[in-house]
Amino acid sequence: MVNLIMPAPDPVVLEARERTVEPEPDNESSPLTFEVKNLSIWYGEKRAIDNVTMDIPSNAVTSIIGPSGCGKSTFLRSLNRMHELVPRTRLEGSVRLLGQDLYSASVDPAIVRRRVGMVFQKSNPFPTMSIGENVIIGLRLNGIRDQRFLNERLEESLRMAALWDEVKDDLRKPGTSLSGGQQQRLCIARALAVEPEVVLMDEPCSALDPIATAKIEGLIHELKAKYTIVIVTHNMQQAGRVSDYTAFFYLGRLIEFGTTNKIFSNPTQKQTEDYITGRFG
Amino acid sequence: MIASKHILGSFDEALGSLRNNVLMMAGLAERSLDRAIKGLLQRDDNLCTTAIADDEEIDQLEKQIDKDGVDLLIRFQPVASDLRRVISAMKLSPNIERVGDQATNIARRARKLNKHAPLPEIELIVPIQACAMAMFKDAIDAFVREDVELARAVVARDMELDDMNRSANRRLTERMVNDPDQLRGYLNLIFISRCLERVGDHATNIAEDAVYAAAAEDIRHQTVAVST
Repeated sequence: MVNLIMPAPDPVVLEARERTVEPEPDNESSPLTFEVKNLSIWYGEKRAIDNVTMDIPSNAVTSIIGPSGCGKSTFLRSLNRMHELVPRTRLEGSVRLLGQDLYSASVDPAIVRRRVGMVFQKSNPFPTMSIGENVIIGLRLNGIRDQRFLNERLEESLRMAALWDEVKDDLRKPGTSLSGGQQQRLCIARALAVEPEVVLMDEPCSALDPIATAKIEGLIHELKAKYTIVIVTHNMQQAGRVSDYTAFFYLGRLIEFGTTNKIFSNPTQKQTEDYITGRFG
Repeated sequence: MIASKHILGSFDEALGSLRNNVLMMAGLAERSLDRAIKGLLQRDDNLCTTAIADDEEIDQLEKQIDKDGVDLLIRFQPVASDLRRVISAMKLSPNIERVGDQATNIARRARKLNKHAPLPEIELIVPIQACAMAMFKDAIDAFVREDVELARAVVARDMELDDMNRSANRRLTERMVNDPDQLRGYLNLIFISRCLERVGDHATNIAEDAVYAAAAEDIRHQTVAVST
């Protein structure tokens, strides 16, 4: 394979992976799933998540829907401790991944975020990096220097993100030279390159046209064979198309959680029915 | 009925218009059936002709409901109870259209019967038409009021109507043997009884869709336990 990647960066952080104790499941028989129990999150005095208990099934797509400010993005970010980047954050309850409490004192948030990757609303390729560098930067920061391995992961990740055929001859071009939809798939490839167990997506298609959206949705469908996917979306048609399970949040509370078919055909809670049918407020 | 307003007023208007067309169609079919039966019982060919002429308007409404339903699905992509209301309205209209067709069939048979001396056995039709008409009205009421219990009651009554039709057929078949001169007349009455039995079947279909619309429950093709 041709080396299409720039030389490795300064090896200051290269030993990080070896030094850190990775969280291991308490119980090997636990399914690949999140078990969220009595989760409450505050930003300062404001309670953003209110006593949420919910299990997220493995190798399935779970959509989180709800009106703006209902706490769905906060909940998503709590699944890989990204919400902690906001000052004055406080959390009660537990979030377990594969039986491992993600918030126990011995767990390194950086490792959690490697295991639980994230794709954001606006595609955010590193502007000074090439397409190839954007994909493998996570591996490099984790201390991987084997150029052959990096090249293999680069191609594999871009293929999984359904982008390889479109960019394989342009890997040295800036990531920002791609279209919006391609940039978002590049970000998905970047998230996949570090081999996470879960991929979180926060409105990944809200800035994309219908064609690019369809490609991302097709990709989500492919990826669930290998990953557990949790997606926040304002687009209920999209939730209906891509997800196996849907959770409806309102005012920080989990109002209803069930199979997507059930939620969109016959929800049990009136608030859910009012929201999805457009009778809210 | 629809509990609260949609954020999009145009959605409520479109759904309201769809339901109004279903109600109008049901009203026309009921009137047509009533005229056909009166044409038979009162030996009034004009009523029969009017019943036959009404069918055209019913057919046009069926097409309009299909078009409006598809437009509504494309424009608003409704879900949950809204989706069920649209789907059930679209499923109701062919059943109502078939009730209109049965009214036309009855009116045509009635005109043939009216050309000959009255048959006393025409009285056999009266309880059958009363039962079929009541089932049809109740099925439409159940859909409009989203009354699941009423809809289930309609479904349960279909066996009673079937029994009445079978009983009338036996009696008319006997008469055909004993009174072969009036064979055509008895045959027409058998057909009319059969048309009314079919009205009951369409009412049952409508009631089943009413249950689906109101309670998201599919009660079609359920085995009915019969005590022997």
